[in-house]
Amino acid sequence: MAENKKMSTAEILAAARAAKAAKAEPPAAADVAPPADTPAAEAQKAEAPKPAPAKPIAKPAGAAGGRPSVAEIMALARAKKEAEQGGGAAAPVEKPAPKPAPAKAPTLKADGDKPASKPAAKAVAPKALARDTASILAAARTGAKPGPMSKADAPPRPAPVAEAAAIVKAPPAKLAAAPTLPSKPVKPAAKKGADAEADRRGFLEMVLGSFMATGFTALSITGGLFGLGFARFMFPNVLAEPPSRFKVGFREGFPAGKVETKYVAQYGVWVVNSDVGGLQQIYALKTVCTHLGCTPNWLEAEQKFKCPCHGSGFYKDGVNFEGPAPRPLERYAIRVSDDGQLEVDKGRTFHEEQGQWADPDSYITV
Amino acid sequence: MHSNGLFLKDVAGFLGSYYTGLAIMNAIAAFLIWRRKNRTGEAVFWASVATALMVLASLAMSGSATWVPHLPESLRKLVNTLSGPVNYTAGTTALFAGAFVFRKFFVKPMVAWTVFNAALLLMGLAMADENFASIVMKADNVPIVGLVFLLAFFTWVATKQAVENDERIARGLPPLEKENDEKVLVWPDLVYTELICMVAVSAFLLAWALLLPAPLEEPASSVKTPNPSKAPWYFLGLQEMLVYFDPWYAGVALPSMVIFGLMAMPYLDFNKKGNGYYSINERKFAYLTFQFGFLELWITLIILGTFLRGPNWNFFGPFEFWSPYKVEVLNNVDLPQMFWVNMLNRPLPRVAADAPWYAQMATILLREAPGLVIMAAYLFLLPPLLAVTVFRKYFAKMGLVRYLVMINLMLLMLSLPLKMVLRWTLNLKYLISIPEFSLNF
Repeated sequence: MAENKKMSTAEILAAARAAKAAKAEPPAAADVAPPADTPAAEAQKAEAPKPAPAKPIAKPAGAAGGRPSVAEIMALARAKKEAEQGGGAAAPVEKPAPKPAPAKAPTLKADGDKPASKPAAKAVAPKALARDTASILAAARTGAKPGPMSKADAPPRPAPVAEAAAIVKAPPAKLAAAPTLPSKPVKPAAKKGADAEADRRGFLEMVLGSFMATGFTALSITGGLFGLGFARFMFPNVLAEPPSRFKVGFREGFPAGKVETKYVAQYGVWVVNSDVGGLQQIYALKTVCTHLGCTPNWLEAEQKFKCPCHGSGFYKDGVNFEGPAPRPLERYAIRVSDDGQLEVDKGRTFHEEQGQWADPDSYITV
Repeated sequence: MHSNGLFLKDVAGFLGSYYTGLAIMNAIAAFLIWRRKNRTGEAVFWASVATALMVLASLAMSGSATWVPHLPESLRKLVNTLSGPVNYTAGTTALFAGAFVFRKFFVKPMVAWTVFNAALLLMGLAMADENFASIVMKADNVPIVGLVFLLAFFTWVATKQAVENDERIARGLPPLEKENDEKVLVWPDLVYTELICMVAVSAFLLAWALLLPAPLEEPASSVKTPNPSKAPWYFLGLQEMLVYFDPWYAGVALPSMVIFGLMAMPYLDFNKKGNGYYSINERKFAYLTFQFGFLELWITLIILGTFLRGPNWNFFGPFEFWSPYKVEVLNNVDLPQMFWVNMLNRPLPRVAADAPWYAQMATILLREAPGLVIMAAYLFLLPPLLAVTVFRKYFAKMGLVRYLVMINLMLLMLSLPLKMVLRWTLNLKYLISIPEFSLNF
């Protein structure tokens, strides 16, 4: 295995080269004897690569075996078409088709086949058609759709490829222009059908000016409708979120030193009664860590808020003292409402670092 | 809390098969050493190791507190008391340095095999402790344990090749990769290997997902943060960084710098050696910088974040119970506080809230003056200083712009360990702390 791998590049290259050489030779041989009769040339072709194979050649040989069949298929297909249209007026137009075939000849591979298969084509066609799947398929295709056939027939390639054999090729190349003719009468027929439909399909195009305009109009209408729907989505019929102002009970419920945690789950607020700078206050702290926004926990035993994400710690008054939190917790506005209950307003926040904790709206003096 | 009977009965089966697995691994190794390398003495040694492991396996299977192999209580207590962020980082740094200095010793296959076995054995012994096992055997931590070993293995393989190449180069030979640079084809050699790997890994993941189901937790809530709240494992290094820095720096600026720096590497590197082969001696600076940044500042932080950070992001020893009530005294102070209040015994410079904006700015600048001076010196004074001393050759070869990019990337990278050290030694929170503009460093 290891040995195989080590040798692989060189070996494969060598093999490939050998295969190429093997492939190049037989056509050359065929070249020499183009007038040989069809079956002979074909047999030669098919057999020639076979003896050559080293390991990897198996594939190229197969490919080479396939190659002539393509050319052959074309010839056969053409022949079939001719046979079909033979009686019709199309026959004269089609006639030139076999002739341009030699124009394809310049390629080494096809060279051997073409002249050989051409004469044979007419006669062999019905028999050959039944012979293998590829030809059956090709024949079926040609029958259904003349397009590919005419494309294959049109030989724009051979002309540029032509090198030494130019003498032979030049006249066929000229003729080659002719074979495109058969396709023309076919195409308009197809187009006529399309035109009939285009009248209907082109209605929007006509109204809006162009194809692109149609597309973009449709796109902008869809986008606009989607945007409207999205905007409606922003104003739900029912708002499930708690109100930003809410009452938390009378001040008797918050004895000195207590951190009330029962509003955390619903409102995200701690109500604290504590001594701040020598002043006993009740204030509402926002349960959002000022570092990255996790919810800290109140640790009664240690009398501090501790954040589980990065370990920031805050005193009871909300001032940060450990971990990475850069500033104290924020306060919400709090006031005594008309009925004597404390009311927290989450609409306003007070930042210590901006000196806003001095604002009388941020606390209630006890 | 640990080693109670119930827990041991639960893990007995696992520990037994764990030791059996180790024994089989060593038996295979012994066989290969005997058959392939023809070293009978070593083979006998590893075979006896395998036998000893089989004995451990049978002891572990018993599930009784006296027989299951475990670490002595006193040792576990000692490990717990000794472990902390400072010792952990110092220890891993020492390990990193030691592995680098003695790399010629560690790349020997037999040494590596011994270390590997010792690590696995130690882990087996430690897993008899309930607290250790509950962290290491947690379904979402298992892959991280595997990755630690995988990372160690790949680092070892690369180091081994580098050391071999260095020796060859010293003897005047071309590096191994150049000598035997037979190319293979992408198709089929590579593609087939990849296909096989893909199938094998898919099958493995499928089996894993069935055997170790991912834990499901309660529905998320914006007002309830799990404790501890951990990022995905590959971001735990970042999360650890965030302990020491402001979010915008550790979460945005520094990671961007990492990406930018990695992209800039090919343009900064003027060393043409080491192209296409492993070598340490030929590119010591590049090697050390990268390995320090990757292994020390990223991987060890991930391990720290995964296994040693518990509730409230406190540090817990490997055998310590993760109590959410653990109290750790961490009084962090900003530099202005240290400078004005503690050193000069004066209050922080303050200004009335309704003062004009320029007075506010001036006060802030005055308050943060010490930090600003230190940062300016670090970022603007140090580069030219280093250019004429330590990095003189680099400066000459790289030119001004490339040198400045390189040195700044390096200083920013080093700002992480420096800040960590400052936090541990001086309880320093931020050098510059301007909460008014959410600007902290």
